[in-house]
Amino acid sequence: MLTPLETTLLGIMMMVIMLGMGASLTFRDFLIAFKKPRGVLVGLLCQFGIMPFLGYLLAVVLGLPPALAVGLILMGCMPGGTTSNIFTYFSKGVLALSIMMTSVSTLCAVVFVPALIAFYSKLAGVTGEFAIPAANVAQVLVVLLVPTVIGMVLRKANPNVGATVELIGSMLGIFVILFLIVSWVPRNYQLLLSTPWYVFFAAIGLGLFGMLLGYFLSRAVRQDLNRSRTISLETGIQNGPLAVLIVTLTFTGEMQQQVLLVPVLYSLFIVLSSSAVTVWYRSMATREALARDAAKVATA
Amino acid sequence: MDTRFSAYDNKPWLAAYGSSISQTLPPARHPNLGHLVHSACQRFAEQTAFTCVVPNGMNGSLSYRQLADASDAFAAYLRIDCKLEAGDRVAVQLPNGLAYPVVAFGVFKAGCVLVNTNPLYTASEMLHQFNDSGAKVLVIVDMFADKLAAVVPQSKITHVVLAAVSEMFPALPNLIVRGVQKVWSKVLPPIPALAVPVLRLSAALAAGTASAKATPGVVQTYWRGVAASDVAALQYTGGTTGVSKAAMLTHANFLANIEQVLAMGRSHMGSNECVLTALPLYHIFAFVANLLCFVEIGARNILVPSPRPVQNLQRAIENYPITWITGVNTLFNGLMNEEWFTAFPPKHLKAAIAGGTALHSAVAARWQSITGTRVAEGFGLTECSPVVTFNPLSGVAKPDSIGIPVPGTGVRLVQDDGQPAAVGEPGELIVQGPQTMAGYWNRADETAIVQKDGWLYTGDVAVMDAQGYFRIVDRKKDLVLVSGFNVYPNEVEDALAKMGAILEAAVVGIPDPRSGEGVRAYVVKNPDFEGELTAAAVIAHCKSLLTDYKIPKSVVFRAELPKTPVGKILRKDLKAEVKTEFAAR
Repeated sequence: MLTPLETTLLGIMMMVIMLGMGASLTFRDFLIAFKKPRGVLVGLLCQFGIMPFLGYLLAVVLGLPPALAVGLILMGCMPGGTTSNIFTYFSKGVLALSIMMTSVSTLCAVVFVPALIAFYSKLAGVTGEFAIPAANVAQVLVVLLVPTVIGMVLRKANPNVGATVELIGSMLGIFVILFLIVSWVPRNYQLLLSTPWYVFFAAIGLGLFGMLLGYFLSRAVRQDLNRSRTISLETGIQNGPLAVLIVTLTFTGEMQQQVLLVPVLYSLFIVLSSSAVTVWYRSMATREALARDAAKVATA
Repeated sequence: MDTRFSAYDNKPWLAAYGSSISQTLPPARHPNLGHLVHSACQRFAEQTAFTCVVPNGMNGSLSYRQLADASDAFAAYLRIDCKLEAGDRVAVQLPNGLAYPVVAFGVFKAGCVLVNTNPLYTASEMLHQFNDSGAKVLVIVDMFADKLAAVVPQSKITHVVLAAVSEMFPALPNLIVRGVQKVWSKVLPPIPALAVPVLRLSAALAAGTASAKATPGVVQTYWRGVAASDVAALQYTGGTTGVSKAAMLTHANFLANIEQVLAMGRSHMGSNECVLTALPLYHIFAFVANLLCFVEIGARNILVPSPRPVQNLQRAIENYPITWITGVNTLFNGLMNEEWFTAFPPKHLKAAIAGGTALHSAVAARWQSITGTRVAEGFGLTECSPVVTFNPLSGVAKPDSIGIPVPGTGVRLVQDDGQPAAVGEPGELIVQGPQTMAGYWNRADETAIVQKDGWLYTGDVAVMDAQGYFRIVDRKKDLVLVSGFNVYPNEVEDALAKMGAILEAAVVGIPDPRSGEGVRAYVVKNPDFEGELTAAAVIAHCKSLLTDYKIPKSVVFRAELPKTPVGKILRKDLKAEVKTEFAAR
């Protein structure tokens, strides 16, 4: 489990991450997104339709015990992670769309996440001591909106400060995961060694299947290649640190330890799998961007 | 006066000047460019002169006062630390950034000669340019420092100065930009060991400041002695013949062209202009239009180091009140393919200026409907510093026209036999005016080919209408002679561009045993076009638009076409390919 100091530290880092997310936003980005709302709507559908269901499905099919099942479902219900923005940036995706999906899903999370967790936990038969109280989740999410708004104001006031905060926020998303590796993995290596293969499969598969399904769903509703790649990354990359924070605020002791396993494993492996996917997407995007530069204006 | 040319020498275009453009060219305001910079920095000291914006929105700025101090320091560094004399050449190989104006203006203040060099040049191209110009100091962007080892030992260069893209940014953004360049994009090569001193720009400026302290006011003595007739820059141009040669552009040439451009635009310029500089400053178009003209009126230049992909311009356009944009067809086209641009076109924009290559009428029309402002197309060439004609911003702008000659400029159209071309008939465009170059550097023979009887022969074929508006037909050297008929490649290319399946096309001549020459089209398929594009389909399309002898005999498909840094298609490269191909037969 995490010490109280570590939990506090995690909370502070989440605040900075959300500050960075806010700094990546402009009012214009919102307006452009709502001119073509389809992308954001598809994103929401992926985020709160596909992912929670995928978490639930994997938990049931693999027959996970309640502690692990609730961790996986929680992970599936999370809004988009801010690290998806940095991966989208490096994959030359539609950054505005990624940022917009992360922000909109984080806003909507206040309502969706508590409801989805309750719904799928019940469906999977997780009850009693392992159930996560909806109020807890909602509270955490509301508190995180404050730094987001401050970030937006910073961005407007000074682009240099805004871009710096944005970068620090995104980097911190990766740093939190490193922090988990350093603080959690050494103390729990025996647990990891005794963890059966299907738990790893669930934790890694949630991200990879999410990306795959996100891509094909966006292509199916006629999003272009670049937007589909962006939605794909956004869908697969969940807000891992937020899940860890919610778990540490809800459970203690041995129970915390068990529920944490899937979110931590997910967070560790999503960095690897999304890095690989990013490199691949980037090479595709470079080719297309150059072609688009040269594309001529359609003549009537 | 030669009365045969009265149709041109009567300057029918003066009527189109209206009340807003001066009929005659006012005398130059400055004795030389050093004075121009000095005076602008005094008049606008507290205003922002330059802001460089990288793609994530990070930026750095220089006020006119800072520009004055830094360019003084660089001038002192050149004259004292590098021991240069007036007239010595300084090669500058920088992308757009805060270092560029500091260095270029430092060169003018030192009374030295600027040699603009494309940062993307290969080692052999650099070597040709540095040895031909005899450059003694090289200022180069650190991203390409790896080329120094192959170049500097074989040149006369005695000092190398390195500048960063984020030069003069605030500390933290500078650290982040350089960190990203080094770690993520890996574009900062190690600096090779050289026999000559290699300094960072910041160190060179510090050295210059220290050296100048001993004699206050010493920098002014450098440029006060510079005559208007002295060469200010050696501007290299490929021309159409291959080997690149330098046009000697004098202080008077530049000062005249600045006045000419401002005469055309002044009615639309206030005291708080903000110009987007996405085109490279080492190119004559942005060098004069953006750098010199807008500094003279105290404007703010928004410098973008790399405009490709065009998304790189987003933060620059969003965060600053852009009033002017200069660009080429491909840039305007690229912007209009971006969602963020079409949703929020710059709302303070007054006009856009197009040059470098023909502006397609479809692009101009769409620009007008999206931004609500005009794209005014002009025509120029390196040898004319560069502007010759421009479309007036008030009154009549004619589509596909390069506009009317700028004040103080004589333009004639002549036929091959030296006779004037009748109004409406094509002839080679020749220019007389204070902006025409002093000649090619060390190439009297080449100079004699283009400068005859006080006129500069541009090699471009144009027609003039009754109102004095000109339209470029084509490059004279690119004409294809099919059975004695002149085929202008532009005309065939325009016809090809109308085919939706074709992205772009270039037309050159190929040897033909029966007709002497035949037309060949190099074609790039439009990626949006689904299905196969065949040579037969291309030829069938041309048949619906062109007379028989203009129709391509051969169609070659390519993934891309060779282009210059500003996006002009290089027909000469294609012609060279044709030559090798047919020599082998």
